Amino acid sequence: MTSVLLPLCERNPEPMALFSVSQTAFLLAFLSLRTYQSEGLSEPLPWAPESLKVSVNTTCQCLHLQWTVHNLAHHQEFRMVFQIEISRIKTSNVIWVENYTTTVKWNQVLHWSWESKLPLECAKHFIRMRSAVDAAKTPGPRVWSSWSSWEEADVQNSLGQDPLFIFPKDKLVEEGSNVTICYVSKSHQNNISCYLEGVRMQGEQLDPNVSVFNLNHVAFIRETGTNIYCKPGQGDGIKGTVLFVSKVLQEPKDFSCETQDFMTLNCTWDPGSDTGLLKQLSQSYTLFESFSGKKTLCKHKSWCLWQVAPESQDMYNFTLMAENYLRKRSVHLLFNLTHRVHPMAPFSVLFKNVSATSATMTWKVHSIGKYYTLLCQVELYGEGKVTQHNISVKVDGARLFSGLEPDTEYLAQVRCANGDHFWKWSEWTHQNFTTAEAAPSEAPDVWRNVKTVQGRCVVTLFWKPLSKPQAHGKILFYNIVIEYLDRTSVSEVLSIPAPASGTELPLNQCSSQIRITASNSVGTSPASVLVVSREPGNEEVEEERVKGTEDGFPLSWNPQPRHVTGYLVEWCEQPRDPPCDLQWKNLGPNVTSTVVSSDAFRPGVRYNFRIYGISTERVPYLLARKTGYSQELAPSDNPQVVMTNLTSHSFTLSWKNYSTESQTSFIQGYHVYLKSKAGRCHSGSEKAVLSDDVVCCKYKIDNPEQKTFVVENLQPESFYEFLVTPYTSVGEGPHDAFAKVTTPDEYSPTLIRILLPTVFCILLIMITCYLKSQWMKEKCYPDIPDPYKSSVLSLIKSKENPHLTIMNIKDCVPDSIEVLNKQEGTRKSLTETESTKPTYLYLLPTEKRYSSPGPCICFENFTYNQAASDSASCGHVPVPPKAPPSQLGLLTSPENLLKALEKNYMNSLGEIPAGETSLNYVSQLASPMSGDMSNLPTNPPEPALCSEYKMQMAIPLGLASPPSSGSSSLSSITLLDEGEHYH
Amino acid sequence: MRAQLMWRTLPSLVLGLLFLSTPVMGSCLDKDQELLRQLQKQADIMQRTSMLLNPYIQSQGLDKDGLKEHCRERPGTFPSKEALQRLSRQELLRALNTMLDHVLHRLMALQQDIPKAQDLETVNRAKQNIRGFKNNIHCMAQLLPGSSERTEPPPIGPGTSPSPTPTPDTFQRRLEGCRFLHGYHRFMHSVGQVFREWAESPSRSRRHSPRRGLWKGARRVPLSRGNKRLLPRGQLPR
Repeated sequence: MTSVLLPLCERNPEPMALFSVSQTAFLLAFLSLRTYQSEGLSEPLPWAPESLKVSVNTTCQCLHLQWTVHNLAHHQEFRMVFQIEISRIKTSNVIWVENYTTTVKWNQVLHWSWESKLPLECAKHFIRMRSAVDAAKTPGPRVWSSWSSWEEADVQNSLGQDPLFIFPKDKLVEEGSNVTICYVSKSHQNNISCYLEGVRMQGEQLDPNVSVFNLNHVAFIRETGTNIYCKPGQGDGIKGTVLFVSKVLQEPKDFSCETQDFMTLNCTWDPGSDTGLLKQLSQSYTLFESFSGKKTLCKHKSWCLWQVAPESQDMYNFTLMAENYLRKRSVHLLFNLTHRVHPMAPFSVLFKNVSATSATMTWKVHSIGKYYTLLCQVELYGEGKVTQHNISVKVDGARLFSGLEPDTEYLAQVRCANGDHFWKWSEWTHQNFTTAEAAPSEAPDVWRNVKTVQGRCVVTLFWKPLSKPQAHGKILFYNIVIEYLDRTSVSEVLSIPAPASGTELPLNQCSSQIRITASNSVGTSPASVLVVSREPGNEEVEEERVKGTEDGFPLSWNPQPRHVTGYLVEWCEQPRDPPCDLQWKNLGPNVTSTVVSSDAFRPGVRYNFRIYGISTERVPYLLARKTGYSQELAPSDNPQVVMTNLTSHSFTLSWKNYSTESQTSFIQGYHVYLKSKAGRCHSGSEKAVLSDDVVCCKYKIDNPEQKTFVVENLQPESFYEFLVTPYTSVGEGPHDAFAKVTTPDEYSPTLIRILLPTVFCILLIMITCYLKSQWMKEKCYPDIPDPYKSSVLSLIKSKENPHLTIMNIKDCVPDSIEVLNKQEGTRKSLTETESTKPTYLYLLPTEKRYSSPGPCICFENFTYNQAASDSASCGHVPVPPKAPPSQLGLLTSPENLLKALEKNYMNSLGEIPAGETSLNYVSQLASPMSGDMSNLPTNPPEPALCSEYKMQMAIPLGLASPPSSGSSSLSSITLLDEGEHYH
Repeated sequence: MRAQLMWRTLPSLVLGLLFLSTPVMGSCLDKDQELLRQLQKQADIMQRTSMLLNPYIQSQGLDKDGLKEHCRERPGTFPSKEALQRLSRQELLRALNTMLDHVLHRLMALQQDIPKAQDLETVNRAKQNIRGFKNNIHCMAQLLPGSSERTEPPPIGPGTSPSPTPTPDTFQRRLEGCRFLHGYHRFMHSVGQVFREWAESPSRSRRHSPRRGLWKGARRVPLSRGNKRLLPRGQLPR
């Protein structure tokens, strides 16, 4: 807390006589007072403070006291001490005691102020005071008057009816200071919460309605201040205040004043960091000049204008004061005005008499008085150079620039300073100008390429554009004059418009002289002369290799015995066709080596060089051919390999399309890698380990032009992988894609050689047979042998043998018919199945069955007669096992037999169970047997003596298997005993 | 009483000046529908809180929890949408013109508390928008029948006292400014909706008898003189 003495009381000038009188009276009074005190201490001091009034200034949170001291004699003055006590909330809570010493006069109203840290609205304050005569020069205890009564300062009564207040309002503090905030609640709510920028604050209760919050080292948050607000737990009665926190005002730096015209002074300074407050609360700057006593309030924060006095004031002593509500800062500056002249920039910069090589620059300056001379500095920028000149100037300046380049843009600039007392240069004033054009100074650099097309010389001319210092202006066109040396043809004149850099000329005759000039708007350049000779030149010069370096290609050649006017080196990229970007370089006659360097050289590109000597007749002749790389690079690609002649032991690789000339380095040869499962390498190869740790065999080919290779000593039916890659001095090609091959079987070719003709022959035979099948059939296996057509018949006839004839079917008596009933198992029970056993119908007398030969019976095979087959083959003739012989007798004739068969068949339809039945003929050679196959008779049946068995070619289905087979079913049926039949 | 007198005389004065200053404001569109669409678009732009309210809240440090909740329109600052809908078109334009004048005055007062040039530029841009909107209101008023009539602004209830007395307390002034801007954006939203209703029913007018094409078939609904009671305000359009 601070106390502030307000200088409200003014001093009255008193005459010296009166002063001495009053002083004497004061001493007398003081002595009498001391005596009075010593005699009776209980008496009050006669000069006690009276009429104490307390007022509150809430803006500054100040208590303002005013009082008087009575009983002072007229013109009486005392130096008195007033002890002031301030209590808060209650009188016993004294928070401030201060002794205020001042000189007291008669009838004077005294004032004293005190600034409270706590907002005065937050609590009642009580003030009282007492006084004593300031007797510092006299020893002894101080005698105090009695205390005045307590005066109360209570602002809360005048707050109004709002339920909540927060104080102080809109307080301005400096960053880092401590602030006390309080709220006053009139609604007796206890749940009021307060926040600083949204963060709740913790305070202390001053009384039941007042809480206090101490904020230490408050920080700057924003220009618009820090929001502090309180709100009750219920309702919408938010109240708040804004705490304006200012950054600390900094002292102005680099304070300086200068004049441009002796009329005004421009004072500038660096205000430092802004206090960061609203414009109304921000700092202000005041300029004070002590010699003139003038003062001006600056409108800007970093500069201020000062009007120079009309009278000649040379010396100035300035004080710059920076001030805000909280702090003041000031800096001083003393100077002589003539030493602080900063001239204005020159003006009216002009150029006169501008030619191709010279120009005159003129300018004007603002006068700073007729007694002052300006020093001007002129700079000229052009062609990458800077020239500087200093010139003394009164009013106007001029400078001649000579030795300029034609058709060139220059920048000229000028600035000035006080020549008598240099302070600062003015700003530059600059202007551009361009010199006039002139005729080109140099002949164009020309080269040619001569070729013969259909017996006619065709010259391709190349020229380099003239550089800017050579062209002296914009080149408009190139003139070409062709003069034929044998003078049989008229000279030709051509004009090629710029910016062409070459042209192709078919010549009437090879021997000619070509003159090339370049022209701009002013004139023509000197001519370049080329002579085209009829002789083609020494094209048979052997090509050499040259190794490029970082600096370029070092080339050298032998000095020529004959006189040359110079050498020329030309180069271009490989390949030359189509024509590359031809480059060339002219060299002097005494030069036999050079380094050709170019930014256009690229690694991995092959360049071809030709060195020519230029004869005195301007005829070029080839001296050397060189080729090389500025930097060789490892091959990026492998040749495209074609594999041929694959055998079980070898194959051939070929990459004839691979060009060794257009690679990224000189090809030295090839490596052939061969991977195999065996992993063995034969002679001529060596083991190599690839990057992926795969071991393979490597064959080396040293000749880059050998582009075929035979891989031998392979295993049949083996899998191989191979790769052909070129190798150079900087490495070989990539090991990326191995081709795969599997060798064939060793015998396969032989087999193929045999099998193919065999198959062919078989096919041929089959086709032939097919085509002649009818013939073959007739010859080899006719369909039905016709006995009447048989050759045997003719033989019989020829022999006239009456006993030999063909038996007629009518002459045959069948011996037996086997009737089979095929049972469907699912529809009949086992017992029922047994009741349907096959039945044999014996057509012959069977008292002694097979025991003796009976009469001859011939049975014609019905299968050869379709009609018979249809009617009988599917018939089933179930015959009861004990059929009477009388019935059998009826069957002795074929007609009866068929009838009987038909009749029995019809009668037995109802008796035949569901299933298949079949009618089979039993061979006359078969003998009836009983039991199973194990009971086969040991004696073979005897054939009937007179019986003759006709040829039976067709066999019903199911009876094709030979009768001797045990597994056979139907054929074996004939071997079964009566009543035993197995399906 | 003084305020009431001011609110009775000021709008008529402003509207009179507005009509008198027609040549100064430049030429008007004579296509009422196009003009109406333009007014709608302007209202749509001016209702955006990003145009004025949000920068103000940020510059004044009111974007804190527990504080920004109090940045709500005070009832009675601006008329409600219902109050606007009850007005005839001519009355609405006059009321709108008057309200925007008050907004302009208030914005000029708010500028004193805005230190940053960027935020000042925002306020200036808003002021330009309001002036442009007022120009279009003037042009629209000319297209209305009976535009030559000089009548005092209609009583639209709460909007008659839009500008509360500024308090010396910076915090309260700051909070009031925030609430005012909140109400301004809500008000412009309501205005836009009313204009949209105009566009949807171009042949319908609430209180005016037909005189020209656009306003043919208009119906005049008298508004009670005593209807000055404050109506509850809605929240900002979401």
